[in-house]
Amino acid sequence: MKIPTSIFALMSFLACTLVLAFPAPAASQTQNVCIQCHGSLEGRLGKPVQQWQGSIHEQDGVTCNECHGGDPKDAVNAMSPARGFIGVPEEKDIPGICGRCHIGVNRDYLASAHGKALGKGGPSCVTCHGNHAINRASLALINERSCSRCHSYERAGELKDAMVKTETLITTMEDKIDTIRKGGTDTEPLEKALFSARNQFHTLFHDVDVKKVQNESARINRDLGKIDASLEAILKKLHERRIAGAIAVGSALLAALILYLLRKTYEKN
Amino acid sequence: MHGHDRRKFLGLCLGGITFTLMGAAIYPVFKFLAPLQTRKSAGKVEIRQQDLAEGEAKFIEFGGEPAVVVNSGEHGLIALSAVCTHLGCIVQWERDKRRFLCPCHAGLYTESGEVISGPPPKQLPKLPLSVNNGIITVG
Amino acid sequence: MKISKKTYDWLETRLGIEELIGKSLKGYLLPRNINFWYSMGSILLFIFALQVITGILLLIYYVPDAEKAFNSVKAIMNEIPFGWFIRTCHVIGASSMVFFLLLHMLSVLFMGSYKSPRELNWLSGFMLFTLVLAISLTGYLLPWSQLSFWATTVATNSVGTIPLIGDFLLEFLRGGKLVGPPTLGRFFALHVAVLPVTIAVFVMIHLFLVKRIGISTPPFGLDDTKNRWDDGKFRYEDHPGGIPFFPHYLLQDLTSIALYLAIFVFFVFFTPSLFFPADAFIPADSLRTPAHIKPEWYFLANYQALKLFPNEFIGIIVQALAMTFIAFLPFLDRGKEKHPLKRPVFTACAIGGILIFLALTIWGHYS
Repeated sequence: MKIPTSIFALMSFLACTLVLAFPAPAASQTQNVCIQCHGSLEGRLGKPVQQWQGSIHEQDGVTCNECHGGDPKDAVNAMSPARGFIGVPEEKDIPGICGRCHIGVNRDYLASAHGKALGKGGPSCVTCHGNHAINRASLALINERSCSRCHSYERAGELKDAMVKTETLITTMEDKIDTIRKGGTDTEPLEKALFSARNQFHTLFHDVDVKKVQNESARINRDLGKIDASLEAILKKLHERRIAGAIAVGSALLAALILYLLRKTYEKN
Repeated sequence: MHGHDRRKFLGLCLGGITFTLMGAAIYPVFKFLAPLQTRKSAGKVEIRQQDLAEGEAKFIEFGGEPAVVVNSGEHGLIALSAVCTHLGCIVQWERDKRRFLCPCHAGLYTESGEVISGPPPKQLPKLPLSVNNGIITVG
Repeated sequence: MKISKKTYDWLETRLGIEELIGKSLKGYLLPRNINFWYSMGSILLFIFALQVITGILLLIYYVPDAEKAFNSVKAIMNEIPFGWFIRTCHVIGASSMVFFLLLHMLSVLFMGSYKSPRELNWLSGFMLFTLVLAISLTGYLLPWSQLSFWATTVATNSVGTIPLIGDFLLEFLRGGKLVGPPTLGRFFALHVAVLPVTIAVFVMIHLFLVKRIGISTPPFGLDDTKNRWDDGKFRYEDHPGGIPFFPHYLLQDLTSIALYLAIFVFFVFFTPSLFFPADAFIPADSLRTPAHIKPEWYFLANYQALKLFPNEFIGIIVQALAMTFIAFLPFLDRGKEKHPLKRPVFTACAIGGILIFLALTIWGHYS
């Protein structure tokens, strides 16, 4: 039997279009000459790239030039002072650089005992937060090992205790939001509300006035309570859905069983 | 006949289950198609005009979200959402510079909500506003 | 009672319902050794019907506009009562359609039912398979999420590797140099109009062929498992003394459908997140490629295979040849034997093929 040519042509066409639809690995990466050169360097000059990769700044698309200046699009003049390149910043300039984006935090920091001691042995941003391998700020940054580099841990511990409850609440709420979002519920308004509360809370991190921290924490806890109530309501709804689902699955299985038994009654004859 | 009774019983059970399952399928579809209830008109907020001098801004809660009313002089009264369009922080009014600043990542907006600089992707949403007998009503 | 009897009689004299049921349902006899696998087609018909229904329902609230598509889907998931249910059913239904198509094809493959005179049944079935993959691919773009946008970008990219005409074809397919609003328009039209109608037509052709040629005899539980067709002229394969379709096999079909429904509903209510990666809830951003874009599970094997070839075009040619080979299998495999154990070379090759597919899929998932 001969295959009609037209069918063959049609089939090959379809097979081709289908196969062509299959994905190939994506190759689009934003061009950044800083990362291209330094990424392949060994040692001191290459390490910052590795440390930056996986950092919160990488995730949010904050690249080298936003702190170090220079031009990431022009390989020749990338490190020209004319393009604003500053290289390794002076310690006293660090809060100003970070503060270009984190202005609220910068203000709080400068007003605190830490900020006032800048240049007189006090810590700059990177002393506690690190520089390239920077993570999302959390209470874990306040710990005995880190604080006792300069002073006793006692007061820092007190501050941390005042904030730990709120921090735990925020973390569990973030987990809840994550669970809900995976199921397709739009969590954006709740995420934003939580983000905002979290930011207000984090401004306390640079304050070293124990009384104020305790009062503010209490207020923020109340705000968080409201968000948590909406989260709980959503979780309850999802739980109810699952119960309905379980009933539906059970009914379908029962229907299958009855149909099977019904068929058996016909097999006997 | 025993077999016949059995068949009849199973048939009845099956009918019952089919009916239930059909109902369980039709109910969501009916709810899905039913016209959406028109959103409850979010409560209006009123401010006395004399409380808002030129160059002043007043933060209020409107429809469950923070909002702000500015008396900008040349542009008149403007009501805006106070939620930064970048990541949802609450913007601050910088009186001397007549602009809004988001303290989280330095987003700047004009007094009428347009983005001047920084990461915000779009302007602050405008809210409906009317003035009557010295009372400013938002909503 | 009297009125209903009268109505029935009135209809009976005009339609001949009893004769119709007697001849085409009770008198439609199937092989005595027919098995569970013969109900895959009914399951697939059921899934297709559900896809059409849920699809039309989604169409009521979905807006095919790049500016509004994502938010309309978000509204379906969050604001419209039971919208989440309808959409999750549609999403999981798409995956299960592909899965049950694979099961259907494999059972036909191992029971030798594709052999002559059923070449056209296989071909029309294969066409349905490609069409279902195409409708899945086009539907993937519609929510206009990061996942849709970039999966479609990556998926359509291969077209550009064809020598000479590749660039033109790619631009024609996307309606622009890159995936964008014009692509959404095209894919939307294909997904909701062209492809469903084409699938419906092929389903009818497929069913017509099945009915016209007669149900194939499964090779299990028989001594003689050779293909009885003598290559001469058209002959309906009847099964005297077989099992009536109604009520016997219809009950089997319904049992299978009820079982499928239980599994399906389980996935819908308990594991929807398996089908919604995180990027599915982020609006499309043409300036930001998310990390680790992966196609749906049924494209993973091809995705991984394509990465193994040094040149993308060669990879595509090899896969096109493999697909063409499968499409024309009944024309190439002319052996009379149908029992899988009595044709060990074929069975070994088929199992090898399945294992390679599974291995590539798993590799693609973890790569």
